[in-house]
Amino acid sequence: MITVNKPGMQMTIQDLGRNGYRHIGVARSGALDPYAMIIANRLLNNPDNTPVIEITLGLAQLTFTTDCVVALTGADMKATLANSPLAPGWTYQIKAGQKLCFATSRSGFRAYLAVKGGIVCSPTMGSCATDVAAQFGGLTGSALQAGDHIPIIPYNGVWSQRGAISPAARQHIRVHSSPHKHLLTEQSLTAFCQTTWHISPNSNRMGLRLKNQACDLTHIRSLPSLAVGPGSIQLPPSGEPIVLLNDAQTTGGYPLLGTVISADLHQFAQLKPGDTVKFSYVDLAVAAQAQSKLNAHLQQLKLALNTLKIKR
Amino acid sequence: MMDKKDQPTIHILSNSSVLFDATTLLGDKLAIQKRIWALASQCKKTYQCIDIVPAMNSLTLYFSNETKFIDLKEQLLNSWKTLQPEDFKGRHHKLITRYGGENGPDIEHVARFHNMHIEDVIARHSSVHYQVLFLGFQPGFTYLHGLDTQLHTPRRSEPRTHVPKGSVAIGADQTGVYPADSPGGWHIIGHTDFTLFDSNQSVPSIINPGDTIEFIAKDIAS
Repeated sequence: MITVNKPGMQMTIQDLGRNGYRHIGVARSGALDPYAMIIANRLLNNPDNTPVIEITLGLAQLTFTTDCVVALTGADMKATLANSPLAPGWTYQIKAGQKLCFATSRSGFRAYLAVKGGIVCSPTMGSCATDVAAQFGGLTGSALQAGDHIPIIPYNGVWSQRGAISPAARQHIRVHSSPHKHLLTEQSLTAFCQTTWHISPNSNRMGLRLKNQACDLTHIRSLPSLAVGPGSIQLPPSGEPIVLLNDAQTTGGYPLLGTVISADLHQFAQLKPGDTVKFSYVDLAVAAQAQSKLNAHLQQLKLALNTLKIKR
Repeated sequence: MMDKKDQPTIHILSNSSVLFDATTLLGDKLAIQKRIWALASQCKKTYQCIDIVPAMNSLTLYFSNETKFIDLKEQLLNSWKTLQPEDFKGRHHKLITRYGGENGPDIEHVARFHNMHIEDVIARHSSVHYQVLFLGFQPGFTYLHGLDTQLHTPRRSEPRTHVPKGSVAIGADQTGVYPADSPGGWHIIGHTDFTLFDSNQSVPSIINPGDTIEFIAKDIAS
């Protein structure tokens, strides 16, 4: 078992999220940085969709009551295990009684902790992802609290220390074109791309709000509600864009500036209040190529790990 | 201004999602919406989508992988031409509702606002078969068509921080039921024990887009 001593800003159980229920208003949820999550699971030979712990910003502390092997990926939160420093991107063995502490991250915002064999959690609508707003998923439907016990499979068999590189961070986000070009002027779309946007503190797993006082995109357009999802960039009348993330509502009535390409969406998991970001529109071919590059990164890791298996 | 067209527009949103947009079509919005439900039902049979989401006069298809859009565009437009509003048959749901009193603390306000008796509010609200246009905002929340224009009431100036699950409410030109405890700015006129959403059920929402809902008044508090 893992005991939560301090959850930090937000600590939740996540997997790759739930599909098939958007028409009844259920969000996808799931790890905001699915690549960090998949890498953590692959380092442990877990299936990709094995539930993990998503840690936001840091300032968190966990105590392990059983032996196990874990992988830590995502943001570097200056983690320590029994006071020795841990580097993200590696597997570690943990003994019963040891404490895992997270300070804060200088770069990046979310870290992932996977456990060999996985966290024991019964799925809700096909997924263990916690939807904090709708209050289901995870262990109890809410973010982890101090005093919570997370059941895990104990493991003290063979293990080896393995590391993997994460896909590179980008501050330049590529976006599919807007379906509402006829409502938003050409000048607005150009200004959106020319502006360096600041991440507002008023951001969460539902969406990331962007600010820049020098850029005025205010408008008075409203629309009949249309489906929105992770990656949709809404432009409310305030002129401050919102990049919708995994816990976002399924429909909305604001015009869309566009949709973040699938290969770049995970970057928003690692942006924290005060960070900056820029956007540019790309065509479908560029988006497809970017996704293939990411898939190749994961494929390479799989091959490398298989080679290790054969050698042993 | 927006062009009014006789053909829906198809926007490719990403490598794996597409928006079928019928919002610019001329004609009755409810009749268009009925064809959207029919199209959603046909797409469910035809394509391997991970999600098919009807919204107001539009339909969004989400695929798990990259999709060849050239064929899809043509197929969707061809389907649209042949679909009729009558092609989709939804289910009808009766929601037993206790109006007024502690179940509906705002019903007096609504009655006063329209200068009518509470009984008239209840009669007007419970005499309609509402169409479930689509769901959104939160799991199980239905956007309904059909609220009597005599009951349209501006939202509360101060939203409540806690509206109990099952509250039947009116907000501007809409009426609906809160599927879970949540904050809310609509006027609460009654309460139903009908479960709109239960994440533990294999079918978490019994009500789907295209269904109809009727509120049945019970034990009217005087």
